[in-house]
Amino acid sequence: MSRSARSTVNRRQSLLQLGALVTLPWAAGAALAQQTLTVQQAGGPVQIPVKPKTILVFDLAALDCLRALGAEVKGVPEVVKFPPVLEQYASKDYTRIGSLFEPNYEVVKGLKPDVIVAGGRSAAKVAELAKIAPTLDLTVDNTQPVASAFKHLKILGEMVGNEAQAQTLMAAMQADIDKLKGLTANKGAGLMVMTNGGKLSAYGPGSRFGMLHDVYGIPAANKDIKVAGHGQAISFEFILKTNPDWLFVLDRDAAIGREGASAAKLLDNPLVNATKAAKKKQIVYLNSSNWYLLGNASPGSLHDDVTQLINAFSKA
Amino acid sequence: MTTLTDQAPRGGRSPALRALAFALPAVAALALLAFVSLLVGVSDVSVTTLLRLFSHNDDDLATQVLVASRVPRTLALLLAGSAMAVAGLLMQMLARNHYVEPTTMGTAESAGMGMLIGILWWPDMPVFGKMGLAAVFALAGTALFLAVLSRIRLRSALIVPLVGLVLSGVIESATTFIAYRFDLMQAARSWMTADFSAIVQGRYEMLWLSLGITALAMLAADRFTVAGMGQDFATNLGLNYKRLVAQGVLVVAVVTASVIVTVGIIPFVGLIVPNLVRLVVGDNVRKSVLWVAWAGALMALACDLIGRVVIAPYEIPIGTVMGVLGSAMFLALLLSRRKRMRG
Repeated sequence: MSRSARSTVNRRQSLLQLGALVTLPWAAGAALAQQTLTVQQAGGPVQIPVKPKTILVFDLAALDCLRALGAEVKGVPEVVKFPPVLEQYASKDYTRIGSLFEPNYEVVKGLKPDVIVAGGRSAAKVAELAKIAPTLDLTVDNTQPVASAFKHLKILGEMVGNEAQAQTLMAAMQADIDKLKGLTANKGAGLMVMTNGGKLSAYGPGSRFGMLHDVYGIPAANKDIKVAGHGQAISFEFILKTNPDWLFVLDRDAAIGREGASAAKLLDNPLVNATKAAKKKQIVYLNSSNWYLLGNASPGSLHDDVTQLINAFSKA
Repeated sequence: MTTLTDQAPRGGRSPALRALAFALPAVAALALLAFVSLLVGVSDVSVTTLLRLFSHNDDDLATQVLVASRVPRTLALLLAGSAMAVAGLLMQMLARNHYVEPTTMGTAESAGMGMLIGILWWPDMPVFGKMGLAAVFALAGTALFLAVLSRIRLRSALIVPLVGLVLSGVIESATTFIAYRFDLMQAARSWMTADFSAIVQGRYEMLWLSLGITALAMLAADRFTVAGMGQDFATNLGLNYKRLVAQGVLVVAVVTASVIVTVGIIPFVGLIVPNLVRLVVGDNVRKSVLWVAWAGALMALACDLIGRVVIAPYEIPIGTVMGVLGSAMFLALLLSRRKRMRG
């Protein structure tokens, strides 16, 4: 780079800084007279500011929504490994404000947030967080995940003043879903299992991973798996007896960044190998961090996950 | 004196017959339960499948289920149940207290911490490495318990298990803290509650090791009986007490580690089984050890069966079933003992 070019960069930077200095008081004044917006949510109506400056996010699905809306956030939770779609937030530029479950209240308070976005794993802390700043509870309703995701996208779109983008994202999500749905019909029934520390649990329609059946239209190989937070503990025999055409596997250990005894190793045994899914090579290892941490309820994760499933089903 | 280390009577027909009269129904009961365990499960396995297995090797599904899942699971239950019960018995002799066992004196919790450290630092470690690490931790935890115990003057029947419970509580909370910091709570919980549902061929063989070690402990049964009478007494009889304790602790640690690596912590077996057997057979390890092994296997089989049946086709982990049944049995044991003491 030539000397003159460098000096123009410098000049440009100082100009920018000067501009910031001049406009900052104005921005602060604008913040005082900030508009508010009332949103209906799980815990009742909440007043939140429009175009808030300092946004803290505890829920990763909401974080993905905000990312897709092009909004700037200040604080994110501490996670062992960010899902690929949220990789940018691994940067230290974003303040760590606690875990997915447990806010670090001192840090949260210190950042003087305009709005806090929580939900799901942090839903229990909403009341406490609301004492610090207006707090949104964007917990996904597992019985209607897509409607839930759209509602959250709409709320956040209004909040950051980018409703048009929210509409675009919803349309893209719906298109993805429709495309997958067109492929899954008549391709056989599926069973969703999660592996965790060498153990198995099953999930069915209506559960946190029920989207596979309820939204993507994959028939459930076993329709009466009772819905429980951590699924139903099962044996390999259960998988064989259910004998699904598709086995969807969420490797929880991988989801939280510990890829020790992998799910593939665990499932490579005579019982699983005797299932239709294994014989047809239709065991799909889901993008575990997306499914586990974001629950498919946001534009980025949904697109990645649907793409993976479209690939799998278009081969079948 | 002679009665304590008595040789088994030779030639006398009636004691042998009497032993046989007890042993036959016992073996039959265990065999029956094991047989039921082979038949109960999500897939259909019938008696005819079982018979076919012995006649010729069929390649059909039911046989496959039997070979790959049911037989390994039943064997694992037999091995783990008896090994944990014998480990409890040994620990009770070494601590000279009837209310300790590997899960109430820090052995199991330390082994669990070893597992956690292993997963954190060497996630790809083969299973033998994991077991070795768990065993080293279990050894250290047990040694710590005995060291703390030797510094306590007032060794009443209740102080010893209390010390153990406090120690295991401290170790467990340290493990929980590490697990919490590294997002491993659920993984940690998965080996803190025993569960045989994922046992298939190739994933339980580690437990044979515990059988070998348990057998070794059985061979040294007389020594452990003497150890149960205290250091002075044992030394007077010409035993190297310290070495014996070290051997016993090693056995308990390795057995506990192999069980935890394979299925997780099985509570209560090591506590209840030796006590129940003691009520009938007495304190002589040589006489009681086989019964302890038998009853441990029986209890493991029974509890796992309950867990398999109650909410079928799903399962309740054996650790949970045993926690419920075991605590009830333990209370009954304590209360009945107190009643007898009063009377």
